Amino acid sequence: MADVIIWLVAIPLVGAIATLLLPRPATLLVVATGVATSTAAGLLLYSVAIQGALHYEVGGWTAGLGIALRADGLSALLLMMVALVMLAASVYSSAYFKEATQRERFWPLWLLLWTALNALLLSGDLFNLYVTLELLGLSAVALAALGGTHAAVAAALRYLLVGLLGSMMFLAGISLIYAGYGTLDMAQLAQTLAAGPVAWTALALMTAGLLLKTALFPLHFWLPPAHASAPAPVSAVLSALVVKAAFYLVLRLWLDVFADMVTPTAANLLGVLGAGAVLWGSWHALRAERLKLLAAYSTVAQLGYLFLFFPLLQALPPGAARELAAGGLVILALSHGFAKAGLFLAIGVIQQRSGHDNIQQLDGTAQRLPATTFAIALAGVALIGLPPSGAFLGKWQLLAAAVTSGQWLWLLVTAIGSLLAAAYIFRVLGHAFGHRPYPNQPVAVACEEWPALLLGATATLLLGLASAPLWTLLEIGS
Amino acid sequence: MLTAHVMYGLSGCLLVALGLRTTLLHASLLRRVLAINVMGAGVFMMLIAVAYRGLGVPPDPVPHALVLTGIVVAVSATALALALARRLHAEHDNG
Amino acid sequence: MNALMLLVFDGLLLLGIVSLAWASLASSDDRNSVILFMAFGLVLAVAWGRLMAADVALAEAAIGAGLSGALLLAAVRKRPAQMAAGRANNSHNPDRTGVNMLLQWSVTLLCAALAGTLAWALLDAFSSTPHETLPQAISANLEASGVSNPVTAVLLNFRAYDTLLELAVLLTAVLGILAMGRATAVYQPAGPIFDGLVRWLVPVLILTAGYLLWVGAHAPGGAFQAGATLAAAGVVLHLAGHPRIGLPAGFALRILMAAGVAVFLAVGLSLLVMGRPFLGYPPAWAGALILIIESAAMLAIAATLVLAFVGAFPRSTATRAASRQVREEEAR
Repeated sequence: MADVIIWLVAIPLVGAIATLLLPRPATLLVVATGVATSTAAGLLLYSVAIQGALHYEVGGWTAGLGIALRADGLSALLLMMVALVMLAASVYSSAYFKEATQRERFWPLWLLLWTALNALLLSGDLFNLYVTLELLGLSAVALAALGGTHAAVAAALRYLLVGLLGSMMFLAGISLIYAGYGTLDMAQLAQTLAAGPVAWTALALMTAGLLLKTALFPLHFWLPPAHASAPAPVSAVLSALVVKAAFYLVLRLWLDVFADMVTPTAANLLGVLGAGAVLWGSWHALRAERLKLLAAYSTVAQLGYLFLFFPLLQALPPGAARELAAGGLVILALSHGFAKAGLFLAIGVIQQRSGHDNIQQLDGTAQRLPATTFAIALAGVALIGLPPSGAFLGKWQLLAAAVTSGQWLWLLVTAIGSLLAAAYIFRVLGHAFGHRPYPNQPVAVACEEWPALLLGATATLLLGLASAPLWTLLEIGS
Repeated sequence: MLTAHVMYGLSGCLLVALGLRTTLLHASLLRRVLAINVMGAGVFMMLIAVAYRGLGVPPDPVPHALVLTGIVVAVSATALALALARRLHAEHDNG
Repeated sequence: MNALMLLVFDGLLLLGIVSLAWASLASSDDRNSVILFMAFGLVLAVAWGRLMAADVALAEAAIGAGLSGALLLAAVRKRPAQMAAGRANNSHNPDRTGVNMLLQWSVTLLCAALAGTLAWALLDAFSSTPHETLPQAISANLEASGVSNPVTAVLLNFRAYDTLLELAVLLTAVLGILAMGRATAVYQPAGPIFDGLVRWLVPVLILTAGYLLWVGAHAPGGAFQAGATLAAAGVVLHLAGHPRIGLPAGFALRILMAAGVAVFLAVGLSLLVMGRPFLGYPPAWAGALILIIESAAMLAIAATLVLAFVGAFPRSTATRAASRQVREEEAR
């Protein structure tokens, strides 16, 4: 059953090659690839739930000599989120891109992005992580530049340079690790790493590189323009999945590989930066004039919440409280992934229909595109953190952990951030439910509107109401 | 620890710092691309110094493989960056 | 060679490398920067050779200095509009304005601190005895790997998964470049001297590529170095004004681009279906399988690097008149 790990990487890669060679039946190929990959992700989740953490040694060589792929509860959950979001966005994309040349350029890069995400989440080797990070970065940049406008290409170029800088720092950290410990396998390193110049410098370098890629304040400057000018499905995936992948790596490094070395000061630093992200991002989202910019700033803010967990996890002793907090972190990440993807897809529908995404001019959207507006509302509920969304549970755990460990600052930041989020979401909805009656019948296009709707519903309803098994899953391998 | 380790290792660190400084300070795209490549060369030098065991002694092949992969990745990224810049300049020239 | 001579050699080499890097980054002219960078790459290749890293030296010379240099030189070609603007702005250096002294000094200090921290950590790592577990495991398994060059064994067998993903990275970059749809300039058909050079250079490059591919199994060389040499042949053809650059058109070209990843996947998945691990070659077949994968990878690397240089699919029906027309369009 561990074979499913390698299928998760191989299937989207095969799909990418197929869509490159056979552009005519591309949409069919993409849907087939998407369904196959999602099935594999589901199988993996099931296998991990039944059998515990899985690992796969590529080529049959033992970990260290060869590359080991690993799946535990956390990565299986994230892989499932990646699969569902990419599947929904793929369905949306088949309707979003009208010209054949656009689609021809889009699909191979799209499936290569999916390959990169899966490969990254499954990798158990540091250098392999570097290669997957580069694949992820280059495919994301190429997709973002497909927007074609001057703004899109300029933002994509800045994204590329920032990404390269981050990767270079990550690689510098890897070289120090190899110099000091002679192995690149993460499981082996987790056991043999000891506090010292090599480990501290490597952790600092790798974290700095990853923080650039996850756009944590104050290294977030590249994100809003890039996510706002990319095509809608690309923005959805960039905000929901790509930055999340870099965050996952920070989590892995801090809680797993370098776990013994993390000091309270370092964790607090991450927390402070996260707080800055929450406040800065929410404030700018409130003042944004365009929907896509609002969503991009919201991503910066929501990622900040995830980093607020670090000082809390550091302060809590291992035990039930820590497990609950860790679970809250993951469910908040999952909820944001689904909600942000749904939001961007819905914005894409509005942008294609009205030709713009100005918030002030959203008058009457609720009447013209009721399903889309409902999708925005659902996503908004999850972004604010209202019950019964998964984000509510996540923030609840955040607040509970803050109270338990006595760190009141994070409580205050979360409260302010949530209030600001409520403000900017309700501002959008207020404009969407304009007062002027709209004479024409509402138009619904299934391919375009259902994916956004389903994503929003998952974030708000499914994750919130059906989240109990999540905590047991996260126990596995953590 | 061989003398070569110290010399090449430190030079690698120096190249990384040099490249980083220009990446952060210089405004021109081309110069930034060159600077990131210089940073890469610095990291490669550190890796190859780690692999070195002495003249005529077989070195550790793993860092060599890593550097080879890194060189190809670097040229791919450089090519993409230059292509994006070319697209921007073309639009700028055409008005 | 006694230790003192080696020390002096190393010192001069490193001085040269760092000076070239500094000069390249600090130069005020873009073209000078690129040329100095190419020189930096070549001297770096010498350093890799000095450190017993022959495979890396070959790759650095071919890819790092050669192809990167060609890409960068093509990027600094000035078009007529730019030249006029350049003459107007000659005295004004746009990169220094706005960057005040405080910022410059703090960034320089930050980078110096980074260098110091890196050096501190690296020296600490060097002071412990070198870790030999991996190199010993590689030597022990070298015979079963199918090749006798350890670097090729690591790249194509032990860590083949990394190489598969790396070929995917190359493909991704080229797809992104082609999607931008802007070719680098079309070059005019070569005059008699250049044409004569091309006529013997390209076959020699092709032969060298084949040799590098074959010899990579037991000596420094391999698919990447061979692919880069082939790509150089393609670049030379492009510079000489050949419209097709030796590449096929349409579907055949796509197959070439995808060949590296496709063959790798085909081998890996067939082995998986037959019950072996993914990319777990049976020792008896390992050498042959590696050669097959490397051949496909060489062709794919060559095709993708040439396409990356050209920037767009080659015009399949270009004639001299059409190339002249394109040049006129670019000049406008």
